[in-house]
Amino acid sequence: MTVNADLLAKSRIFAALSPRTQRSIAEEARLVEFSEHVDLYHQGDPPAPLFILQTGRVKLYRQSKENCQILALPIPGDCLGAESLPTGAASPYSATTLTPTLAVTLSPEILQVLMDEHPDFQEMFLRLITERLKQFVTLVHDLAFRDVTSRLATVLLARADTEGQAVEGGILFERLLSQQEFADMVGTAREVVYRTFKRLEDDGLISLSRYNILIRDPAALRAISQQETR
Amino acid sequence: MPRMCPVVTGDTALARRSYQNRTKYAILLIVVSNVLRYNMVAALQISLDNLRDIPAFHALPDEQLMSLAAVMVRRQYAAGHIIFMEGDQAESLWFVASGRVKIIKQSLHGRVQGLCLMDRGKCFGSCPLFDMAKNPATAQALNDVTLFVLPEAALEHMKAHDPHLVKALLHIYSQRLEHLARVSEVLGAWTVPDRINDSLLTYADRDARDPVVELTQEKLASLSGTVREVVSRHLRLLEKAGIVRIEPRRIVILNIDALMPPCACEDQRKPA
Repeated sequence: MTVNADLLAKSRIFAALSPRTQRSIAEEARLVEFSEHVDLYHQGDPPAPLFILQTGRVKLYRQSKENCQILALPIPGDCLGAESLPTGAASPYSATTLTPTLAVTLSPEILQVLMDEHPDFQEMFLRLITERLKQFVTLVHDLAFRDVTSRLATVLLARADTEGQAVEGGILFERLLSQQEFADMVGTAREVVYRTFKRLEDDGLISLSRYNILIRDPAALRAISQQETR
Repeated sequence: MPRMCPVVTGDTALARRSYQNRTKYAILLIVVSNVLRYNMVAALQISLDNLRDIPAFHALPDEQLMSLAAVMVRRQYAAGHIIFMEGDQAESLWFVASGRVKIIKQSLHGRVQGLCLMDRGKCFGSCPLFDMAKNPATAQALNDVTLFVLPEAALEHMKAHDPHLVKALLHIYSQRLEHLARVSEVLGAWTVPDRINDSLLTYADRDARDPVVELTQEKLASLSGTVREVVSRHLRLLEKAGIVRIEPRRIVILNIDALMPPCACEDQRKPA
């Protein structure tokens, strides 16, 4: 499917680009649908295309043998892919859809041309990588110095901030991840995450249902998220 | 007759010469102030060939390399020297010309965690570029190192006027993104023995016939995010298997392949 320039102008990332650059992107971009659990690209592959998420959810992760670390859960409006295009190295992580997803895509070859011809596009791409970098710096700190409870609290609060809806009794958001995926996000085993969820529920901080998570006491959860291990 | 300002007298050639001189003085001033400020052993000019050695600068034309060489300085540090501290104001990009630099992080309670090792051609520092005014980690010279330093202010100025430099920055950021993704995986998903093995590989001096890690078990524990007892138990297992030999204050690696971690696809493991 081809892409309408208006669609790009609505996106947070493309809005700042000049109309000329937006038109050039629209000419080359494609709107693609993916079903759930489809790999968009793989760690170790040559530089991936750029995906601009329109609807749906994706996980970014690194995997080795049976170990997996989820690095980020982009939301609609975010970009992913093409991380290693500037160095020509292999993709540093993998991306897989969690739900049916609609994304605008730009191939690495086209990205290269756009960057050479439009300095504002190059600046935008630099900002995209910068945003991801900042996020990873925080992730590394949390993994190094915070315990599982504190890390799980951080993950839940971050998701409440970006996707939560204020409802009666707290902040509600879609569960989206399996118990194992929560474990892969927090960097621990499934059983540990299960126990940690249970404790947070027993203490009245959160409620879990099959499809949703309700944060009942954001302040208490925030206090836990900021604790560092000794 | 008193000398008039060349701009007032309309002598454009003289005005240009005087501007060039002023630029030269400004650069000299940066060099001298850096010598005084950082207690450098040597502050020498950097050649274009030096800069071409850095992967991020491979694609830059000579003109850009020359303007970089004019504002960059060379610094040398002895093993163990702290180059900058976590939480300090970040103000420069640092490129490794020779030797190795380790990047470490410290918790609020003082626990130290090794993050990664920067060898020749790698770049670290300057977080204002990605909107963080303070260094998120500490950099320490692992052995005697020579670094090329690009001050943030010069970089900002050049970036605004030169799309080539944005390309070089993209290269640097992309490299760092890969680094941080890997570090997250090591911290989050690897088992403690894998992390210890990874530290042994990372900190091994590979110039020797048998690679040697010149670290105490205490230090190795902090770099691997664990405690000394666990390191000591794991090393004894490795010694029993003939993979390492434990000596006072150092570990000799006898079978480096046996230490390779679950994913051996990273360029970081190959000898520099």
